[in-house]
Amino acid sequence: MKSSIPFFMVLFCAFTLTSCNDDDEGPVLIAVESKTASNIPAPQTGGPPTTEEIGGAFTKFSFETGGVTTSDTDWDIAFRGTRIAVNGGTATGTADEPVRNGNAGVSIETGTFADITDAEGLTFTQDADGAYAITPVSDQGWYNYNPQVNVVSAIPGKVLVFRTHDNKYAKVEILSYYKDAPAEPDGFVNESRFYTFNYVYNPNEGQTALQ
Amino acid sequence: MFLFIGFTGCFLSGQEIPPPEDSVPVQDLEEVVVTATRTLRQLSSVPLPVTLISKKQLQKTGVMRLDEILNEQTGIITVADESGFNGIQVQGIASDYVMILIDGVPLVGRSAGNFDLSRLAVGNIQQVEIVKGPSSSLYGSDALGGVVNIITEVPTDSTLSGEVSYRFASFNTHDANINIRKKQKKWGYSFFANTLYSDGYDLRPDLRGQTVSPFSNYTINAQWFHNLSEQWKLFASGRYYQQQQEAELFVNDALLEGDSDIKEYNAHIRLDQHFKTKWNLHYEFYHTSYRASEVLESPISPDPFSSSEFDQNLWRPELRATYTIKPGHVLTVGAGYNHENLDRTFFDDKVTFNSQYAYGQYDFHPWKQVNLILGARFDNHSEYRSQFSPKASANYNIGPSIALKASVGYGFKAPDFRQLYFDFTNSAVGYTVLGYNVAVEKVQELDSQGQLTDILFELSELQEPLRAESSVGYNLGAAFNQGRLRLNLNFFRNDFKNLIDTRAIARRTNGQNVFSYANFDRIYTTGLELDANFRMLKTLTLSGGYQLLYAKDKEKKVALERGEVFARDPRTLQTVALDNSDYFGLPNRSRHTANLKLFYDLPQWNFSTNLRVNYRSKYGLFDGNGNGMIDNYDTTFVDGHFLANLTLNKTFWDRYTLQLGANNILDYKDEENIPGLAGLQLFTKINIQF
Repeated sequence: MKSSIPFFMVLFCAFTLTSCNDDDEGPVLIAVESKTASNIPAPQTGGPPTTEEIGGAFTKFSFETGGVTTSDTDWDIAFRGTRIAVNGGTATGTADEPVRNGNAGVSIETGTFADITDAEGLTFTQDADGAYAITPVSDQGWYNYNPQVNVVSAIPGKVLVFRTHDNKYAKVEILSYYKDAPAEPDGFVNESRFYTFNYVYNPNEGQTALQ
Repeated sequence: MFLFIGFTGCFLSGQEIPPPEDSVPVQDLEEVVVTATRTLRQLSSVPLPVTLISKKQLQKTGVMRLDEILNEQTGIITVADESGFNGIQVQGIASDYVMILIDGVPLVGRSAGNFDLSRLAVGNIQQVEIVKGPSSSLYGSDALGGVVNIITEVPTDSTLSGEVSYRFASFNTHDANINIRKKQKKWGYSFFANTLYSDGYDLRPDLRGQTVSPFSNYTINAQWFHNLSEQWKLFASGRYYQQQQEAELFVNDALLEGDSDIKEYNAHIRLDQHFKTKWNLHYEFYHTSYRASEVLESPISPDPFSSSEFDQNLWRPELRATYTIKPGHVLTVGAGYNHENLDRTFFDDKVTFNSQYAYGQYDFHPWKQVNLILGARFDNHSEYRSQFSPKASANYNIGPSIALKASVGYGFKAPDFRQLYFDFTNSAVGYTVLGYNVAVEKVQELDSQGQLTDILFELSELQEPLRAESSVGYNLGAAFNQGRLRLNLNFFRNDFKNLIDTRAIARRTNGQNVFSYANFDRIYTTGLELDANFRMLKTLTLSGGYQLLYAKDKEKKVALERGEVFARDPRTLQTVALDNSDYFGLPNRSRHTANLKLFYDLPQWNFSTNLRVNYRSKYGLFDGNGNGMIDNYDTTFVDGHFLANLTLNKTFWDRYTLQLGANNILDYKDEENIPGLAGLQLFTKINIQF
């Protein structure tokens, strides 16, 4: 697993930081971060093809650190198979879920990644008893499953806008559910349960801008 | 030319077709069909798009099974499903919605809706009639896309006649036929038997198991014709078909072997009563049974790994009458009763459907140049809402060689047994599929066992009965017939609603879904068909056909218009918004299909040859990029391709015919996407006529 920051992004951030520092009006804002998280593993136990209940620890992710975390509190979203938990609300009731102790929530928006520019005015849903905020059903949440070829593909045009556990905002576009994000995954060959996604994170508390 | 010839023809028999004189050139034949109106009609005068395949075409091309010849007709393609079953698509409408009849009565036994036409041997077929567009006004459920009616041969000769043939082809394929018939003054009979064996073939030697496993099958058909009196005629037919195919499956490196069997029979009795007055009555009784079973066993375990059974039966008495008011004005009425049952694996119990139906049709000439056919049928069913299926069609002869044809009709397909009573859990993946009528009860049962985390619908919403799928079809065409040239042009549009598909209704604790059926899709297929037949020389006939097709889902078009559909470029992973121009359409539909056929005869050498080339443009198999539709960003397209078949015939001493041929001479293969298409196949056949 790795989080990669393209070189030009570093330059871009450096530039905007400088310009912000030159700005004497208002509080100093930290630049919005645009990154790609690659190959975030999302293992699970049980579930098909076995008849056992799905279990196993979720892989927790923090937008602030831009990577996987083992912290029980400072995480925003977590992955296990096709399920994505948010650190807000309550556990849905399946085995081995992390405790929700933050204020995270999600709003699933439709558009290209660039179209979604602000989290202002969106309604954020939190996990609840019996229901993940992101419905883990083909065509109803973030993915489509094609049983003919056994492929899970992220629904293009679904942008997940998150409020983080500490009231910041981020948008996520999932690109792949397969290791190394092959352009045309083979559902019987490629290893699944590896998330690759683009995200934009605004580290300024309460600031909703996502570009 | 424009005379009504039904009356004299149909009292002989409801179905029989007088055999054409062999020496008459093709164009001059009185080509007659029965399927469009249930009375004998001259093909060119029928106001509907009808394709006719003659015995001559079947013989000269050397095909063995019905799917092969249908695939060569304009606007008709065969589409194989996952189990390799070859169903047909007509005007872009899938096999589920096309009715298959033999001598006017339906065949049953479909795999997930698909009717496998390779089940049908062609050795005793007089002609095949395909009526395109909704025909539920005469035939009831399933006839949305059209009707394929197989007309078997009727004995005409007082001496015993017939043929025996043997055909040997690639993949160690052996096909043998015997066909005998005789007609006496009062009675006649025919007997047909076919056996086919093949080793199958393997397109992917890199994978374990064969693409098509070895199989053998038998067909027997015996028919009896009896003129009981001046007034009464009897027709009785019995047909039996049996197939055995090896089955193998690899599960976690273990080989499972077994057999896949099909047994089918039909019994058809009809009494035709002809009054001296203008009445003809037909009393018909029909029964058919289709059984399929598959067993897979592991060599190391005593218990079968899996076994499945499918047992479907249909009984149908029908009474039909035609009343000829005056020449060219015929009233047809009929009534019948369907009793149908199915017992299969994944059903709790044997399930029975009962339905009663009545239909009427008035075929008349309000003016000399105009023929109108008005018809309607009412079906009352035990499991779904009753259906009323009207249809109107008109033929207008502008001149001696040009006619305009128009028709509009309603078609429906009743929810099938599977859609209502299925109870299936996939043991490998863990999802469940429930038939609509058992869904509520089963969901409650699963819930009480603590197997569900969520029920996604109010169960009360599922109390309303599932509706029949329905369509309205429009056909508008023109026919031109002059001398050596015959042209047919037809525009078609079929609007489907209430298509039944699966949706998730509950979620299981294992994370998988419980699916059930619902009416939700609305689709259309539209396009045009052009058919041309030109007898260039006495010895050379050229024919060609083309179909342009757009087949799309209306809901998807709405979503596209709203800008709600996106695609991700598979290489750059950039997401882009799609519009309607990016929407390719429904799976398995080619925008362009075309055929070109050359039939060349050298009577002085007793030689004939024909070359048939078929083209279909690229088509999508499934959505590969997660947006639920096949669009231009998908990478799952099957390339456009040509298939060409060549046959040579040489007759010796009038009765011995040697046939040499090659199917798929371009050796086109797409191992991954079209497993049902073998490469080049050579064959030779000897036919002895007596």
